[in-house]
Amino acid sequence: MSSRAQIEQHIEVHKFYGGAVVGVAFLALVLQGFLNKFGSWAGLLELPLLVTIYFSLSRRNPATGLLLGTGIGILQDAVSQMPIGFYGIAKTFVGYVASSFGGRIDTEHPISRFGLVLVFFHFHQFLLTLMDRVLLARPATYFSWKLLIASAVNAAVAVVLFPLLDHLRKPS
Amino acid sequence: MLDFPSRQRPFPLLVTVVLVQVLLLAFQIKRDNDVRLVRVWAVEFLTPLQRAATWSISSVRGGWRNYIDLRRTHAENEFLKAQVDKLQLQNRQLESRAAEADRLAALLNFKQSHTEVPMLVAQVIGASADLASRTIFINRGERDHLRRNLPVITPDGVVGKIVEVLPGSSQVLLISDQNSGVGALFAETRTHGVVKGTSDPLLRLEYIANEEKVHVGELVVTSGEDKIYPKDLPVGTVTSVKQGNPFQVITVEAAARLDRLEDVIVLMTQQEVSMKKPAEEAEPPQQ
Repeated sequence: MSSRAQIEQHIEVHKFYGGAVVGVAFLALVLQGFLNKFGSWAGLLELPLLVTIYFSLSRRNPATGLLLGTGIGILQDAVSQMPIGFYGIAKTFVGYVASSFGGRIDTEHPISRFGLVLVFFHFHQFLLTLMDRVLLARPATYFSWKLLIASAVNAAVAVVLFPLLDHLRKPS
Repeated sequence: MLDFPSRQRPFPLLVTVVLVQVLLLAFQIKRDNDVRLVRVWAVEFLTPLQRAATWSISSVRGGWRNYIDLRRTHAENEFLKAQVDKLQLQNRQLESRAAEADRLAALLNFKQSHTEVPMLVAQVIGASADLASRTIFINRGERDHLRRNLPVITPDGVVGKIVEVLPGSSQVLLISDQNSGVGALFAETRTHGVVKGTSDPLLRLEYIANEEKVHVGELVVTSGEDKIYPKDLPVGTVTSVKQGNPFQVITVEAAARLDRLEDVIVLMTQQEVSMKKPAEEAEPPQQ
């Protein structure tokens, strides 16, 4: 057995109850649309991104992560006014990178989750800005105070939300 | 478990998926064309869920507002009722103060428009304790150099005269008292008579011969013959006229509101006072 295979044996891949991933993803999209009705403060939250990050980190399979990100992103595009693929591409990358990291670092500790979500939020935003500028040729700015606050808010929400989603895991 | 595609080759999958989406984006931008089908499916699928979520939240919120929140509404209602009571009381106090300010303004106006006549503003502090007499007490007395028989008026007309002077107050006999008499005349015909009190709200003008033509609404003013009230102060207006023996029976409604006196003016002289109001004086003569 190779050393890589030995390492992978120690990586715990979490499995979820049937329909949990799809159900939570849809619920996140529905809630996101619902929250946006309550004004600009709700726009700080990015529930579809949090769900993408969570399941990608838990599954620890880059292929699964990127496909999950693609699916959630395209659905998010579909129910928004963005061209199909805009959020799809960004979340594909997030899903891929998150699931790749999931096998290498501790993703269960609250501080670790806070930091990871903070980083992935900015990564996601960076990709969106890049696509805005390169593919859509729109003058988008990356940094703003609102973005900084939004990243902290999402990271804080993730610390609360992720333990709740942990209950959807099958016992190992 | 989702094992397809395999863990060993995720990068080519990433490139493929991203490339497909970039092409899709390019297609939409280049052709200015929307991928309507994907949107329709997504919206058709998500809209019922959103509607259900909205309905659930609205129901919970409605339930909270209509039932659970009623407890708070009840407390709020009690609080608001108390507030209304308090505000009504404050409103009455303010109305009272506003009325007082109006009265004082009228008195001040009167005093300023008659600077040639020495006068003193006094506040009514009490009334007679018996029903038969019509007297009031004012808050001015010997210390203010008041003396008996000084006339007391309001900007509307004659009130009475001082009958008792105490160090800090005085008693005023109203013209409605049955022991009171005021030398008077009709402002128009200048026919003389005497206005007497009846202890009723209405006064009586006596000693007017039956031959004199008297009209209801005619103005009665002081004649100055009693050596107490200056000439031409309004006393009242005629409200009824009857033939009598040997004189007419004429009732007069006092010009001053004798039942609602709060502030009065004590004239320190019997010098004639013009009761024309400043506004009337300012009016140009009619052509």
